[in-house]
Amino acid sequence: MSAPRIVAVDAGTYFHRTTFSDPRFAPYFDALVYAPELAADLDWMEADCLFVASRQDPAFLQAVREPIADFLAAGKTVVAMGESQSETWLPGVVWHPSEVNFWWWLTPGADSGLRIGATEHGLFKHLTLADATWHHHGYLDVPHGAISLVNRAAGGSILYEDRMTTSGRIIATTLDPCYHHGSNFMPATTRFLTGFLHWLRESLTGNP
Amino acid sequence: MKPILYICPLGQEPASFLDKPYARTIEQHRIYDLPKLDLSRFGAILVSAHTDQRAFAASGDRIAAFLDAGGLLVFNGHIAYPFLPELAPFVPVPGYGLALLQVCRVTAHPVFDGVDPQDLTFRRGVAGFYGRGHNPPPPGAEVLHRLSGNDAPLDWVWARPAGGTVFMHGGNDMWMYADDPTSAARIAPQLMAWVTSQIEEHTEKEPA
Repeated sequence: MSAPRIVAVDAGTYFHRTTFSDPRFAPYFDALVYAPELAADLDWMEADCLFVASRQDPAFLQAVREPIADFLAAGKTVVAMGESQSETWLPGVVWHPSEVNFWWWLTPGADSGLRIGATEHGLFKHLTLADATWHHHGYLDVPHGAISLVNRAAGGSILYEDRMTTSGRIIATTLDPCYHHGSNFMPATTRFLTGFLHWLRESLTGNP
Repeated sequence: MKPILYICPLGQEPASFLDKPYARTIEQHRIYDLPKLDLSRFGAILVSAHTDQRAFAASGDRIAAFLDAGGLLVFNGHIAYPFLPELAPFVPVPGYGLALLQVCRVTAHPVFDGVDPQDLTFRRGVAGFYGRGHNPPPPGAEVLHRLSGNDAPLDWVWARPAGGTVFMHGGNDMWMYADDPTSAARIAPQLMAWVTSQIEEHTEKEPA
């Protein structure tokens, strides 16, 4: 069996280019698809995983809502990073806005308000809660039967894995690591991508 | 007066300065409408750091023609897809330390009149929001701000020999400070006033 393929959606921004061309991360992405070309060229549907990097123009993903549903129905994986209105193009996603607090960590001893949702999950062999902690852009309801990986103490999830809503797997988050890593800003986002991509690749080979 | 074209960024809340009285001459369009727009209608183009630069660079010939005719381009962000032959990709400072990230004024400019460089170095005590590297300036560009790391020319103005002006900020959007309680809030209104004066000056020079 050939190795699973990950195709990443590239919005053409500087931070996506920096993230996808980073020698630490480039090996994880077998191909890139330029967001405005998602609907015109459906070759990405041959892949095993569609990785939607943070901060896309949602119109291009809304245009392929049905192909994405078909992709999931075929048992494949979609990763949706934050700030791309995934609730408008991905099944089962319910997003709530919340005030983005960029500054909580300036207060000594402050609580980020985030908790690990599933300690035994394979993702946490590769990263810690601190690696998933900077700020988040709203929160998500956890679909019935899905596993929340990072909870908000105040309710809801900022990162979950959903194998129940479709025949495939949806990994949805309100974190935006591709933006911050690609801006050379916030080292936690670099650690997050390092651990997350390692786990994602392993989980696709059936060895999470 | 010719209006100012503002290219709407991706995946972001609308910038707050757009609602201010001083922004009333702005006309907003999606980057994907750029090929259809008659750029000669506009006196200036404002580009956010959250722009699909691949799409912007695909219109490079039309941007060059806009500048040839005396237009003004204000560009924020890290250049990943150079859109003019004289431009080159962003160079980050080598690391995260404060020693690299101090903003130093080199040349006075109306856009930064009364803006304390310390208010650019720090935002709520955190360094690096304003800039973390530079877009290499073409020969003859006038440097306005440098970073302490490698004397990186973060901000510059280039009177393009073939015509037009490029105002370059190699970091996050200059207008994001519009509601900050510091002297950095002066940037957005002063930028709009300067852009307006440049358009008016150019219009006077044009033959009737």
